[in-house]
Amino acid sequence: MAVDNYTTWLSSIYKVADNVVRPLYWLTNIPAGIQDWGKTITIPRGVLKQDNLRLQQESLIHHGQLQRMSELAAENVRLRQLLNATELLMDSVLVTEVIGVSPSPQRHTVTIDRGRDDGVYVGQPLLDAEGLMGQIVTVYNGHSIALLITDSTHALPVHVLRNGVRSIVEGVSDFNRMTLRFVSPTADIVSGDQLVSSGLGGRFPVGYPVGVVTSIKQKPGAIFVDAEVDPSAQLDRSRHLLLLFTSGDLDRGRSDR
Amino acid sequence: MSGENLTGPVILSLVIATVFQLIPASGVWLYWRPNFLLLVVIAWILFTPERFGIGFAGMVGLMADTLFHTTLGHYVLVFAVCGTIAYLLSRWLMYLSIFHRAFLIFVMIIGAESIQAMLFSVWGVPVNLRHIPIVAVFAALSWLVVDLLISRLKIRRL
Repeated sequence: MAVDNYTTWLSSIYKVADNVVRPLYWLTNIPAGIQDWGKTITIPRGVLKQDNLRLQQESLIHHGQLQRMSELAAENVRLRQLLNATELLMDSVLVTEVIGVSPSPQRHTVTIDRGRDDGVYVGQPLLDAEGLMGQIVTVYNGHSIALLITDSTHALPVHVLRNGVRSIVEGVSDFNRMTLRFVSPTADIVSGDQLVSSGLGGRFPVGYPVGVVTSIKQKPGAIFVDAEVDPSAQLDRSRHLLLLFTSGDLDRGRSDR
Repeated sequence: MSGENLTGPVILSLVIATVFQLIPASGVWLYWRPNFLLLVVIAWILFTPERFGIGFAGMVGLMADTLFHTTLGHYVLVFAVCGTIAYLLSRWLMYLSIFHRAFLIFVMIIGAESIQAMLFSVWGVPVNLRHIPIVAVFAALSWLVVDLLISRLKIRRL
């Protein structure tokens, strides 16, 4: 157990086992497939029409906002060039689906249906519609395993959107809770503060939502305060996720194949 | 009983239990879901102690470790401990009703979950002991189905 826990010598055994268990993922997704199919065939036509109309309106609003964003992005690039700063890379995404979840509640990992064949690589960030989900830790040909940000072995650098105060968010093996590490009692962090990835460490890109500070408590005599964070991403519910590529990553993915 | 008689049902039951174990769950069900693989292993040992014992439990535990990406030896230990208890009590338990066996499973799962919690603590993984009794209750309820299915299967094969 110690050898497995502290070294990677046995990783080849897990790789073989993972390829063996791959067909079982298809079976495990049958209930979810039936549920989706049931919803599709029982939904009334009127509701579908309403949904369609709502989605069209949302799409129109988002397109409008996107035009404004493009203008802001161009302005941002111009300003950065004036400051001689590095140009921010545009990110592209690849849609993926969760096909498996770790059966142990202490290990927060998910299996997704994209692998080396799709250019996925170790360390690649994973998002859902609400925020950062985690990063890829193991890649196979047709599927990959991602470690979620709530896993107790995961930590990521963040900053407060309001004022840029930096900190580290750490998982505690709870899908609805994370903790902020090394927050001094004098730091300007309050409940309700939005945390986004700071990009430090080079693993996650800057500016993706990570969570919201829900409570800050100080124990008498403690050097740091206990700050709890509610993750932005729907870590135990989202089925359709996004794999994030920056332009450099795309080249790396191609060369890895 | 011939050697080949139970190979198919055992493999099938293990595959079904693995599938149940791997079905993506969310919310509290992720914490409360019983270990179906462990229940199936206990059932086979209880009903056929002359065929399956601690070695079988350990082998399935090893398989569980590799399939579920737990530390190698984690489920081996848990399955072997539960398998040993099931093996030692198998003759005695045959005279008890299904509900008595379900109660024993409740106690056994509390023990198994406590061992797991201890192992996770050793590796520095936070554990929540509040879920242990609930997991044991769900395991005892699931046991009623597993017990009925495997005992009938065994009787039919005899």
